[in-house]
Amino acid sequence: MVHALREAHRVLKPNGILIDLRPALVHRRVGIERAGRYRQLGTLREPLDDDRAANRSLAHVLRAGLFKAGWRTQFDCRRVMDSLSDFQTFIDEFITLGTDLPPHDWLIRRVERALETADGKKKIVVKGPLLMNVLRKLDVADEWATRVSRGRL
Amino acid sequence: MAIRVDPEQNEVRALERVTNWRGKRVIELGCGDGRLTLRLARMGAFVSAIDPDAKLIRTARRRLPKRFARRIRYHVGKAEHLDHANESFELAVLAWSL
Repeated sequence: MVHALREAHRVLKPNGILIDLRPALVHRRVGIERAGRYRQLGTLREPLDDDRAANRSLAHVLRAGLFKAGWRTQFDCRRVMDSLSDFQTFIDEFITLGTDLPPHDWLIRRVERALETADGKKKIVVKGPLLMNVLRKLDVADEWATRVSRGRL
Repeated sequence: MAIRVDPEQNEVRALERVTNWRGKRVIELGCGDGRLTLRLARMGAFVSAIDPDAKLIRTARRRLPKRFARRIRYHVGKAEHLDHANESFELAVLAWSL
């Protein structure tokens, strides 16, 4: 991860902007939406180790003076699915991407039951906030100035 | 039916707050099937989009609308070893890939 950030720093123009966009460090919620009303059915138990490692990598390049922190924001992101097979695909994608996801058969069964019992048009909705970190590239000269101003030289 | 990610476009609104993307040269690391890449191109950016998964890049190329063919270039590659020259881009986006 740090190598990728160093490469991003290399290919960015002076004063360029790095945007780190990824799911926030919370488990996603799964539910059914019908007639605009959301009913939560469970929470994904996805491991958050990769997200913690990403935070550490960002902190590392900030400390190394490659970037300076800009602003940080968080906003809602929904994934909307029409069928149980879409939801199964969504779960399978975690495994395809190498995430060590524990079995979620219980949640799939719960979604299946909710789809069977709810009347009318319904959707499966997975909710989870996205985190966006905006960083500004620091050049070597900037890094020098920053360290001098902080009394580190 | 496909999975619809962020139909409310909250992601686009957040990205629009960062900068004016029109005409900007952007490198997107971890573009996957190009979902976010298309959003960046719609905002006016020229995007070099990279992902290590050749299958996802093939999907992204297949889904690329003609109107964005000159704005988007997809490449198979790793974020740790970019083939691009120094100081080539105004923005770098790590899309769910850090």
